[in-house]
Amino acid sequence: MRLPRLLRTTSFRLTLLSLAVFAGAASAFLSYVYLATAGDVRNHADALVQHEVEGLERIYARGGVAALNQTIIERASMDRDQLYLLMKADGTPISGSIGASPIHNFSGHPTWATFQLTEAGAQGQSVTQAARGLEVQLSGGQLLFVGADVGEAEAYVGRVLHALWGAGALTILLGLLGGLVISRNASRNVAALVGVIDQGRAGDLAARAQVRGAGDEYDELALGLNDMMDRLERSIASIRHAGDAIAHDLRSPLTRLRARLEAAIIEADAGHTDPREALQQALEDTDGVLRTFSAVLSIARLEAATDPPGKTEFDAGALAQDVAELYAPVTEDKALELQVDAAPGLKLRGNREFISQAVANLLDNAAKYTPPGGAIRLAVRRRNSGDVEISVTDTGPGIEAADRERVVERFVRLENSRHQPGSGLGLSLVAAVARVHKGALEIDEGPGRLEGSGPGLRAALIFPPA
Amino acid sequence: MRLLIVEDDREAAQAMATGLSERGHECEQAHDGEAGLAAADGRKFDVMIVDRMMPRLDGVGMVGALRRRGDATPVLFLSALGEVHDRVTGLNAGGDDYLVKPYALAELIARVEALARRRDTGGVQTQLKVGDLEMDLIGRRVHRAGVEIDLQPREFQLLEFLMRHGGQSVTRTMLLEKVWEYHFDPQTNVIDVHISRLRAKIDKGFDKAMLQTVRGAGYRLEA
Repeated sequence: MRLPRLLRTTSFRLTLLSLAVFAGAASAFLSYVYLATAGDVRNHADALVQHEVEGLERIYARGGVAALNQTIIERASMDRDQLYLLMKADGTPISGSIGASPIHNFSGHPTWATFQLTEAGAQGQSVTQAARGLEVQLSGGQLLFVGADVGEAEAYVGRVLHALWGAGALTILLGLLGGLVISRNASRNVAALVGVIDQGRAGDLAARAQVRGAGDEYDELALGLNDMMDRLERSIASIRHAGDAIAHDLRSPLTRLRARLEAAIIEADAGHTDPREALQQALEDTDGVLRTFSAVLSIARLEAATDPPGKTEFDAGALAQDVAELYAPVTEDKALELQVDAAPGLKLRGNREFISQAVANLLDNAAKYTPPGGAIRLAVRRRNSGDVEISVTDTGPGIEAADRERVVERFVRLENSRHQPGSGLGLSLVAAVARVHKGALEIDEGPGRLEGSGPGLRAALIFPPA
Repeated sequence: MRLLIVEDDREAAQAMATGLSERGHECEQAHDGEAGLAAADGRKFDVMIVDRMMPRLDGVGMVGALRRRGDATPVLFLSALGEVHDRVTGLNAGGDDYLVKPYALAELIARVEALARRRDTGGVQTQLKVGDLEMDLIGRRVHRAGVEIDLQPREFQLLEFLMRHGGQSVTRTMLLEKVWEYHFDPQTNVIDVHISRLRAKIDKGFDKAMLQTVRGAGYRLEA
């Protein structure tokens, strides 16, 4: 059987535990109080009785039964708190202030007894009071009982005990109530978080936990959970978008490929043409589709990775020089000026291949979109923040501010790039490379408008230093 | 050449064998790593083409066993795993080259032939010669028909690779991997531009064009 939810919560269990420790401490404390007050009163009363018995025994030792009897009669007739009874060995009373011993089966050894004593009060009514006494056997066989009226002391002890029980009960009650309130609160907070997780599990990725602003660990948990949900929502959306985009982008070339093959069969059957050309075309279409697939796969892997694979430490400037060297003839052929400004000695730690590819993609874009006669500048520098920045600036048409964020999404190709070859995946890959290296891709305006060209584009990869 | 194809996808293996046979190579097939090991036992192959992921014994395991028993036959790994670290694992396991699926048949053929050639010229060379083109690897100088040709360092490396594989097709990917050491696909065909620069330097003013374009494959330096 499962306990009710509240009783199963960790905080309630902790409450119970602390309550147990608290109750233990309280009972130790209360016991001490009891011993120091009520216990002491009792001991004092017993000591008085003991003292009286010892005194009477001395009288007996000196003067025998007669002297003792005489003393008891004297003392019993005085209005004293003590009760006396002298008995023969068989318990028959000889003299005293009470009629019978409260101890019925006397064993012969000194015996204490607590009993109720009923007396006639001042107004003639009977008053019952607590009394306590000690019975001993004298050397001659007679029995001596000395008691004391402990009513007041016992009433005091009773009051102390009563107060102690009350305090104990109050302690436990307050502890329990406090525990319930605390655990109720805690489980309400946790229940809200669990609710968000359940919603997320059920597929509602828009669910977010409420952050109360208390800055406590529940807030931290809620913030963490919300961040996780944000990421999840983003990546699911990105996968959905990529799926749609892949379907869209691959459907057209695949349809074209299929049509071409079908036509080639018909033509060949009719003996009209040599199918070789159609096959060659089909092969090229297939390569295009495969290239798109590989690019999407690379991006997906990078986006799924938390850390770049195959990390090494290398010089950022040397990497930029190498990639620039690869592209130099391309820019030269297009009458573009390629300038490389690489600060020496800037170390990066990451996947050299991926970063080379990212820089290559940026250079490729710059070379593609900058009109002949323009310039491209590849720069590597350390930012004031210590980050290493690799930037490519061109004098091409640039990208409208409104499109700059969109352009790194997969398959996004702006209107003016439709006539250029490309998959629409280049910048997505650059952004993914930046992200996996815990860096960023910044896209801004280039050097501005100049003699009919520009405003240019500045794409900067920013990496944390090695 | 005698080639061993170890690939569990029988259709892919057959397509490879067909293409390679057309080039005049003799192909044997095995369809898992254990069969591959058995086929390689005691027989002489010039190159083995080994798929990385196979049932029973995968490519890495098979080549590891091959190397342990002292067989140094060049191995070309085929794999759907194309990231750099995947290549590194493959090459560390004893592979000599690594080709990512899907590949063009022309690429496969060029790489297989390049691997076989590499074995022929195992010794240290100081001089390369293809036709009337001569390269001095120590003095870093190139002459064609006695005329010195001035090359940039990268052009020199590019020509060196082409000369080492003189008469053979080399693909753009091979050049990018072996000369520039990049394994990604540059969106523009940057290699073509580098080749045309090199061509302008070594062929211009000579009767015979040595650096030829091979349709659907890449380039070839002809004597």
